[in-house]
Amino acid sequence: MRETGATDEGHACEVVVAGGDGKAAAARRRRRLELRRLGLAAEDDAAAKRIRSVKDGSSSDDSSTEVVPRSWPACVSHGSVSVIGRRREMEDAVAIERTFMASTGDGAGAIRGGGEGEEDFFAVYDGHGGSRVAEACRKRMHVVLAEEVSLRRLRGQSASGGDVRWKEAMLASFARMDGEVVGSVAAAAPRVDGTEPSGFRTVGSTAVVAVVGRRRIVVANCGDSRAVLSRGGVALPLSTDHKPDRPDELERVEAAGGRVINWNGYRVLGVLATSRSIGDYYLKPFVSAEPEVRVVERTDKDEFLILASDGLWDVVSNEVACKIARNCLNGRAASMFPESVSGSSAADAAALLAELAVSRGSRDNISVVVVELRRLKSRAA
Amino acid sequence: MVGLVGGGGWRVGDDAAGGGGGGAVAAGAAAAAEAEHMRRLHSHAPGEHQCSSALVKHIKAPVHLVWSLVRSFDQPQRYKPFVSRCVVRGGDLEIGSVREVNVKTGLPATTSTERLELLDDDEHILSVKFVGGDHRLRNYSSIVTVHPESIDGRPGTLVIESFVVDVPDGNTKDETCYFVEAVIKCNLTSLAEVSERLAVQSPTSPLEQ
Repeated sequence: MRETGATDEGHACEVVVAGGDGKAAAARRRRRLELRRLGLAAEDDAAAKRIRSVKDGSSSDDSSTEVVPRSWPACVSHGSVSVIGRRREMEDAVAIERTFMASTGDGAGAIRGGGEGEEDFFAVYDGHGGSRVAEACRKRMHVVLAEEVSLRRLRGQSASGGDVRWKEAMLASFARMDGEVVGSVAAAAPRVDGTEPSGFRTVGSTAVVAVVGRRRIVVANCGDSRAVLSRGGVALPLSTDHKPDRPDELERVEAAGGRVINWNGYRVLGVLATSRSIGDYYLKPFVSAEPEVRVVERTDKDEFLILASDGLWDVVSNEVACKIARNCLNGRAASMFPESVSGSSAADAAALLAELAVSRGSRDNISVVVVELRRLKSRAA
Repeated sequence: MVGLVGGGGWRVGDDAAGGGGGGAVAAGAAAAAEAEHMRRLHSHAPGEHQCSSALVKHIKAPVHLVWSLVRSFDQPQRYKPFVSRCVVRGGDLEIGSVREVNVKTGLPATTSTERLELLDDDEHILSVKFVGGDHRLRNYSSIVTVHPESIDGRPGTLVIESFVVDVPDGNTKDETCYFVEAVIKCNLTSLAEVSERLAVQSPTSPLEQ
């Protein structure tokens, strides 16, 4: 199973088509080798960069940024890939909704200037115990968020409260989404004739959501999917994974009366390896649906954003992922390996990252969204 | 709230949240009955590197309904929420039959191979032993028994599930028990839910058990 998202240019990518003959096998082998080289080169580069940045640690990236509020096109292009990988079931889901506020119909964007209402919505949901919660999030989260945001905009709080408003809207949306899945999943499970499994209470999903506006990026995260921003060639994580052994999460779980046990990795009650998620009724309140929200002002140096499930992050570091995506978006990867890398779109970058994860032995579903924030390469050529 | 941890009357003899409802005398009688079932049917002899425990659940459904779910060795997914698929080797169901269980994602295992040790339809006893799988439960052996009881004057069921298992390297007895109990509590909560829903769908006369 494979889904590829197209960019604005309609530049869908065609990759990983398994063939039966020897020629195809040889091509796949070459591809794997080239991918590995690409990954290793990126690792070397990343290591060199770390050393450099330690050496001249005095020069800061935020060299007195200008006060004038600037704005950029919300997103230049985007692409996504979601692959089942070595798993038996596909439980990841991806959502991409351009100008997602338009669906609320209150025309907030048209009335106000400054790009309000023009934000794009991107999300990765990594389901477990079934795909129902991830699917529900894919269908509903952006709708719920649009409602929560417009509700707060219509109340007309001052512009300076924008960040606070976004945080509140995200918190409210995740709570509503969590309530909806508990209700709807429970209601959908009454058949017990042997065909309908009884597992509604044990279905859940992580959620990492990014709203990309002209001036700011809002990231809300619940679980161990992750958002990483490439800023001036540096990988800047915009979310922190909710692992049960994270000290503050461990404290939260224990304060709620639960325990974290190392049982094939640290798990809540020895069962679930993430400490926050949507759904998972049976692990409430130890597993929380509350997201951590981060708002970052955009800068000239922002290149692209990667959202991905742990199928990628378990085997590829933030630095290497950014390096690979960068080399793809600026066209270098395609010119180095024209037979393996089909182009330089965001969808190509997402596909390349997913393939790298597979080649590095990821055992999980892999979902990657790449959002290009500014052109790294002239597309005229 | 599911209440997987703490309180909730999961322990044998702890009838605070159990059936009865007839005051201290009835609760005392119920506790005595549980203790008697425990002594007679759930006596494990854990070794030094093993742990053992028992949990009880009171279900507002007649015993034949609950037993029909518990006894279906070939279809644990009828009530066990962590099971995605189950196939019995050979097809026939008898003592010694082995089932291959697939576990849902997000858990510290994907498969489990389990052997039917005892299925007693008169006494309502099911005993299962884990003989393989990629989980960490070595020499896991469980006994489930169901007993009729009266809950608020209506036919109800007392379920007792006990187990013994090796403590794996890297964990304490306490952690091992805690983990297994969390899973069993989830199974028993689901068993109660499914049974009680079936009971509402097919009401039986109060006399029938």
